[in-house]
Amino acid sequence: MITEILKGMFITFREIFKPPVTIQYPEVKRPVRQRFRGRHELRRYADGLERCIGCALCAAACPADAIYVEASENTDEQRYSPGERYAKTYEINMLRCIFCGYCEDACPTDAIVLTDAYELSAFSRKDLIYTKDMLIVPPPAGKPGTPQKVEEGAYNRSILPEGLVSEP
Amino acid sequence: MKTVRSMVLVSNDPLSQARGAQAVYQRLEQEIAARGLTDEISLMTVDDVGRHDTVPMVIVYPEAVIYGPVKPDDVAMLVEEHLYKGRIASGLLAPARELTGRIAWLSARKGTLPAEQRIVLERAGLIDPESIEDYIIHDGYVALGKVLTQMKPTDVIAELEQSGLQGRGGAGFPTGLKWKFVSKAPGDRKYVICNADESEPGTFKDRLVLEGDPHTILEAMTIAAYAVGASEGYIYVRGEYVLAQQRLKKAIEQARALNLLGENIFGSAFSFDIHVHAGAGAYICGEETALIESIEGKRGEPRSRPPYPTTHGLWGKPTLVNNVETLANITAIIRNGAAWFRKFGTPKSPGTKVYTILGNVNVTGLIEVPMGITLREVIAIYGKGMKNGSSLSLAQTGGSSGSIIPASLQDTPMDFESFGKAGVSLGSGALLICDDTTCVVDLAKVLLNFFRNESCGKCTPCRIGTERAYQILANICEGTGTRNDLAQLTMLADSLTALSNCGLGQTAATPIRDMFKHFSGEVDAHIQLKVCPAGVCSMSGRRL
Amino acid sequence: MADLINVYINEVLVSVPKGTVIVDAAKKLGVNIPVFCYHPKLKPVGMCRMCLVEVGRRKIDRATGQPLLDANNQPEIAWGLKLETGCTTPIEEGMQVRTQNEVVKKAQKDVLEFLLTSHPLDCPVCDKGGECPLQNLTLQFGPGTTRFDYNDKQHLDKHYPLGDIIFLDKERCIQCARCIRFQDEVADDRVLGFYERGRTMQIDTLSEPGFDSKFSGNTTDICPVGALTTRDFRFRARPWEMTHVPSICTHCAVGCNLTLGTRRSARDRQWEILRVMPRQNEDVNEIWICDKGRFGHHFTRSQARLTTPLVRKNGQLAEATWDEAIKLVAERLNVVYGHVVGFIGDRVSNEDAYLFGKLFREGVKTTRIANRPHVAGADLVQKYGVGSGTNLGALGKGTVVLIVAGDVEETAPVYMLRLRAAAQRGAKLIVANARETKMDRYAANSLRYKVGTETQLVYGLLNAVNQGSGIRDQVAAYTPAKVAEITGVPEAEITAAGKLIAEAKDLIVVFGDEQPYDIMVNGQYTDAGRALPQACANLVVATGHAGKANNGLLSLWPHNNTQGVFDMLAANGAQWTPADGLKALYIVGSDPIGEGQTLPKSEFTIVQELFLTETAKQADVVLPALSFAERDGTFTNAERRVQRYYKAIAPLGQARADWEIIRMVGEQLGLKWTHYLTSEGVMAEIAATVPQYSGTEYAALAQVTEAWPPVGSNDLYFGGTAYDNRGGVGVQIKSGVELDGQSEMNWIEPPVPSAESTLHVRQLNRHGTLIDQSAVYQPRLIDAPIEPAQVLKGA
Repeated sequence: MITEILKGMFITFREIFKPPVTIQYPEVKRPVRQRFRGRHELRRYADGLERCIGCALCAAACPADAIYVEASENTDEQRYSPGERYAKTYEINMLRCIFCGYCEDACPTDAIVLTDAYELSAFSRKDLIYTKDMLIVPPPAGKPGTPQKVEEGAYNRSILPEGLVSEP
Repeated sequence: MKTVRSMVLVSNDPLSQARGAQAVYQRLEQEIAARGLTDEISLMTVDDVGRHDTVPMVIVYPEAVIYGPVKPDDVAMLVEEHLYKGRIASGLLAPARELTGRIAWLSARKGTLPAEQRIVLERAGLIDPESIEDYIIHDGYVALGKVLTQMKPTDVIAELEQSGLQGRGGAGFPTGLKWKFVSKAPGDRKYVICNADESEPGTFKDRLVLEGDPHTILEAMTIAAYAVGASEGYIYVRGEYVLAQQRLKKAIEQARALNLLGENIFGSAFSFDIHVHAGAGAYICGEETALIESIEGKRGEPRSRPPYPTTHGLWGKPTLVNNVETLANITAIIRNGAAWFRKFGTPKSPGTKVYTILGNVNVTGLIEVPMGITLREVIAIYGKGMKNGSSLSLAQTGGSSGSIIPASLQDTPMDFESFGKAGVSLGSGALLICDDTTCVVDLAKVLLNFFRNESCGKCTPCRIGTERAYQILANICEGTGTRNDLAQLTMLADSLTALSNCGLGQTAATPIRDMFKHFSGEVDAHIQLKVCPAGVCSMSGRRL
Repeated sequence: MADLINVYINEVLVSVPKGTVIVDAAKKLGVNIPVFCYHPKLKPVGMCRMCLVEVGRRKIDRATGQPLLDANNQPEIAWGLKLETGCTTPIEEGMQVRTQNEVVKKAQKDVLEFLLTSHPLDCPVCDKGGECPLQNLTLQFGPGTTRFDYNDKQHLDKHYPLGDIIFLDKERCIQCARCIRFQDEVADDRVLGFYERGRTMQIDTLSEPGFDSKFSGNTTDICPVGALTTRDFRFRARPWEMTHVPSICTHCAVGCNLTLGTRRSARDRQWEILRVMPRQNEDVNEIWICDKGRFGHHFTRSQARLTTPLVRKNGQLAEATWDEAIKLVAERLNVVYGHVVGFIGDRVSNEDAYLFGKLFREGVKTTRIANRPHVAGADLVQKYGVGSGTNLGALGKGTVVLIVAGDVEETAPVYMLRLRAAAQRGAKLIVANARETKMDRYAANSLRYKVGTETQLVYGLLNAVNQGSGIRDQVAAYTPAKVAEITGVPEAEITAAGKLIAEAKDLIVVFGDEQPYDIMVNGQYTDAGRALPQACANLVVATGHAGKANNGLLSLWPHNNTQGVFDMLAANGAQWTPADGLKALYIVGSDPIGEGQTLPKSEFTIVQELFLTETAKQADVVLPALSFAERDGTFTNAERRVQRYYKAIAPLGQARADWEIIRMVGEQLGLKWTHYLTSEGVMAEIAATVPQYSGTEYAALAQVTEAWPPVGSNDLYFGGTAYDNRGGVGVQIKSGVELDGQSEMNWIEPPVPSAESTLHVRQLNRHGTLIDQSAVYQPRLIDAPIEPAQVLKGA
C-alpha cells in the first residue's frame, strides 16, 4: 500500500519542482498571438485626418450587426477625412461583436483595425456601446485632430496615396 | 446679259490683305472706270490662291497671267498695259515658278489621259461665279429645263442609275439607288440636303465648286428635288467657307429672281427652295445624320441607324443627302446622258474624281481625273514627281478617315471597286503623298489626335477608345511603347470598328490597322529598338 | 394587340407587337440584354453601345417576296455583319437574335471596360453603391480586369451643384443622357444639356436658376450610376440599410405611389424617413413623382410636431394625459347636444373621415360637418367622374381632354406628364384658361378667356356640339358668337374646339378652381362657385361621356383626399348648414385661421392636428395626430382610385392616428365602438356599407398587377433604380352613373365677373405648414402668390 501512495506522490513531488503554469492575471498578462483579434480602433493618416470614410461596408459585412455608421459630408472648412464622406456616427456594440474581423477585411481604407486589447468589461450594457470618440486613435504627435480646416481642393479623393498601401 | 472681255482676280487671303490687297482692288476699280472699261472687264476677289511669296497678286484671264506682288502704285501701269493696250506688263509678272499653290487646277491639263473630261470642275474658274448669266451661257440650267419639261421623276432616277454614279463623299453608295429610296419613301414632305461640310483635313475640292460654280449645285439640287419629290433643300456649308456661303446666297437670290427656284419653277407645278445653313466647325457634322441633327438645331451627334435618312431624315421626313461633288456631276449627266458619262472612268466606277494632291510632290493642288487612274500616274503626271527626287514611302487617301497605303499599292487603280478589294478607302479624295521623311506611327498619332478631338462623345467606344488609342500611339512615339501596348492597340482598333455608332468611330481604327498591316517593321523599330526610322518621333522616353 | 410579330431570341420564340425594339422583346421573354442609355419610357438613342446583339434576318427572294427556305424547310437567315444596338433596332418578322454568344459577350465586356476606364472606383462612398446598374452589370457582364492603365482615369469635379437640390459628380457620369432626355421628353423642361464633346463631354444645366424643373429628382432614379445625387439623401445611408415601405404621397390629388426608405437611427433610437422614391403604378404615376413629393417628407419628423394632448388651463395650453383630454372632449360634446359643428380637412384618410362622420351622426347626433377647404362639385365628380378602368397613361387617338380653369402642372404635376404623353400619342387637348399655363404647349386648341367667364365658355362649347337635351333652352342662348363676345375667345376657336368634342370617342373634362368666385360666402355655399363644375358635368352628360372608362370628370382637387373625405361625409349624411351660437367646434386636420379665415363663434374648440397651427393656438383642447408615415390608411385620389399606405416609421411621442382619437371620443360618448381595432376594420365597414366603395377592403387594395416596364427587384438598370411595388395598385371605384345609370343636367346661371374679381391661383411651391418643414426644399419655395404680371382681374 505504501508503495502505491509513494507512487502517487511521486507525480506530485515531481510537479512541485516544475515552474508554475498559472499566470497571475491581471498582475501578469500573457502576450497575445500575432493574429489575435481584440478591441477595434479607428486609425488616422499621418496628417491627422481620419481614415474612415463612413462607407458602412464594415456594418454590411458584420455578421452580428454590431456596427452602426451614419455618414455625412466633409467640407474644406471642416474636414474629418479625405474625400467627400466621413463617419458622423460610428458605434460598435461590443456585446454583440464576435471579433470575427470581417469589418477589417471589408474596410477599403484600412481604417478599422482589431487590436490586441481584450479587457472589455463594463458595469452597464450602455457602456459597451463604443462610440467614435472611444474608437478613434489620437492624432499623431504634433498633428491636429479633426475637424481640420484645409486648403481648398487638396483632399478631393476619398483615399490618400499612403492609404493605397496596406500597412503590415 | 453682260459679256466681258477680261476677268481680273485679286487675291484676298489674310496675308494679301495685310499687304494692301484692298488698296490694290480699289485702285483697279478706279483705273478701270477711268478708262471706261467697266463694262468690258469683270473685277473680283479670290480667296487664298496658294502662293504667299508674291501677294497681293492680280490674275488676269483669259490669258491666266499672274502679277505679283502688286502695289497700288503699279495698278495704273498694269491697267494701261494689259487691259487697255493688251500687252503683258512684264515688269510686274510674278517670278516664273511652277505654281505650287491650290490654283494648280487652273492651268488646263486636258488630254493627257484617254477620255479625260472635266465634269465636276467643268466651269469652276472659267465663269464668273457671281453671275447667273455667265452660268447660263455655259450650258447652265439646261439640264433643269430638260428635266422639268421632258422627263418624269422616274426617268431622272433611271438615267442616274444607268450612269452608275456613285456618291463622292467617300462611301461610294450608288446615287441613283439612294434617290430611288427617297422617292419611294412615303411622306408628304421630303428634303434634299447638300453636304458641303467639307472638313476632312487636306480636302478642298467642294470649296472650289461652291466658290467657282455655285449654280451647278443649286441646279442639281433642284433636279434631285424634282426626282424624289422634295419641296425644300438645305446646303450645309462648312462654317469656315465664308466666301462659299456668300456666293451660294447670292446665287440663290439670282435663281429666285429668274424663277429657277421658288414657286412653280419654269411655269411647271414644281416648287422648290433652298436655304444655306452654316456649320459651326464640327468635323462630325459631315456625317449625314449628325448634319441633319445640326440643321434641326440640336447637338451635332450622329443618330443610330436604321432608320436611315432616306426614310427618317430631317424633321423625321425622308431626306436625300448628297455630297457637293456628287451633285456637281448631275447636270452634266442629265445634259449629256448616262452613256456619255460611262465613257469616263472604269466600267464599275464611271466618271471622274477630284483629288487634292498634298505632301512631298513637286506640284500640289486639285486635279480632276477619270476613275481608275493609279497613284503612280498621279504623282508622275500631276505631281510632277516626288520632291527632291525622293521615293514614295506611303500615301494617305481620303483625308483622316481614309487609308494609309504603302508604295506597293501605287499601281492599284483608284476606283471604288479596286480600292475596295485592296481594303483601301477612297474617301474624300485627298491624296497625302509622303516620302521616307514621314513616320507612319507619327502620322497615325496625328490622325488619332484629330479623331479624339472631333469625336462627338455620344457613344462610349469612340469617346473613350479614340482618346486611349491616341495615348498609346503617343507613348510609342515617345519611345515608351511596349508589346503589350500593341496588343491593346489591336484590340482597340477592333472594338472601335465593331462597337461604334457612326463612321467616325469606325474609321478611326483604319490608320491603326493599316499601320499594322503594311508597316509592322516600322512599328517594331519603335518598340524594340526605340528608334524612329524616319527620325520624326521624339523618342524622349516620356510616358503619358 | 394587333400586328403581333414573331421573333426568335436565343432560339426561343416570342410574339410582340410591331415596332417593339429588341431589348423590350427580350425583356418580355425574360432575357436580360444589358443597357445603360436605354430606358423604356424614353426614346432610344443607342449611345452606350451596351445592348449590342447579333441580329439575323430572313433572306427574302426578290422575285417572289417570300422568304428563302433551306434544306430543312426553315427560313434561311442572313446574319448581320456587325452587331446591332438592341435598343434602337425594331423587331421584324422571323428575326433571329443572339444575346449571349461569344461575339456579344466580348462586345459587352469591351464596352464595360471602356466605361470603367473613366469611372472612379469610389463605390464605397457612392450613394448608388448597392443599387447601381453599373455595379451590377459589371459583375454580370464585365471583364474581371482592365487592360488599361489605372492612371488613365480623369479627375473631375465631384461636387458640382446643378441646382439647389441636385448635385453632379462629373467623374461618375457615363454620358448616357438619360437625365437630359427625361427633362426633354418627359418633363419638357429643357434645362440640361451636354457641354464640350469627345472625352471631355459633360452634363450641365442650361437654366437660371440651375436645374429649374419640378421633376428634377426623377433624374437621380434613372441615372444608371451615382452621378446625380440629391441634397436630401446625399451620404445619408447605404441602400441596404434601409427598410422600404410603400406609401402614398400627400401633397396633391394625384396620389402618387411612393416608396419610403426608412431607418432607425442609433443616435436617438428614432425611425426616420431618409428618402422618398416613386413606386411604380402605371395607372397613377408610372415611375415618376414631382420634387415636392420627393423632398416634402420632413414634416413627419419635425421638431414642431405635437407629441402630447394639450388642454387649456388658466388661459394657457398645458400638457395633459389622453384620458384627461378625451374625457373633457366627450363631456363638452355631450353636454351641448345639437349645437356642435365639425370641420374636417381633406388631408386625412378615408377611415378618419368616415369615423368622424359617424361620430357626429351617432354620438353628437348632428350632420353639421363641412370639409375644408370648401370645394364645389365633389358630388358631381362622385356621380360623373371618370369611369372605373380609366388610365390617363392609355389615352391616345380619339380621346379629347378638355382642361378648364386649372393649371395642371402647378396643381397636379404628374397629370401634366401623363396628359402631355397622351397628347403625343394622339389625344387632343383643349386647354382653356384665363392665363397661359404649361399645358398650352401641348394643346390642340388653346382658349384664352376673360377672367371669370369659364362657365360661359363651357356652355359655348356645348352649344357648338349642339347637344344638351335637359337644358337645351338655356344652352341655346350661348351661341359661339355670343360666347366669343363674352369670353374674348375667337368664335372660330370655339367652333373648332366644339368640333373636336363632338368627334371625340372618349372625352375627359378636367376642371380646376382657377376662377375668381368664392365657393362659400357667409357660411353659405354659393351658386357662382358651383357653376363651373355643374357646367362641366352638363357637358359630359349631354355628350354621353359619363360613366365609361376614360370618360367623365376629373377635378384638380386641392389636396390628397378631397374626394375621399367628401365621399365619407356624404355616406354619413353630413350636410353643411350655417352655424351660429355654437357650444362646441371640432376641427380635424385643418387650419382655417392660418389660411386667413375666421372661425364661427364657439364656446369650446377642439383641434386635432400635427402642428400647433394658428387654429390650434386658439383651441381649448389640442389632440396630437399622426402623419401618414406613422400609420396606415387609405386615400382616394382625383381619379377616385382608393389607395392604401402603410406604416413606415414609429409614432412620435404620444400622438395617435386620427381615426383612433375619434374612436376614443366615440367610446367616451358611450358608443359601442370597441370593434374598430384597426384601420383595416374601419375600411372593411366602409367597403361593406358605402356602395361606391365596395371592393375596397385592404386585401383588395394590396393587389399588384404585372406592369410594363418592369422596375425594382433585379431590374435596376432597365427602368431605373426603384423598388418593386409590394403595396398594391389600389382600386378605382365606380362613378355614380356606373352604379345607377341615372344622369341628369341642372342649370346654374353662369356668374358674371366684376372688375374686382381676381383669379384664385394655386401653386405647387407656395409656402405651407407641411412643406415649410423641409429645409432642403426651401430654395424652391415662393412667397408671392403669383407673379404680379400674371395676376388677372375680371372685366
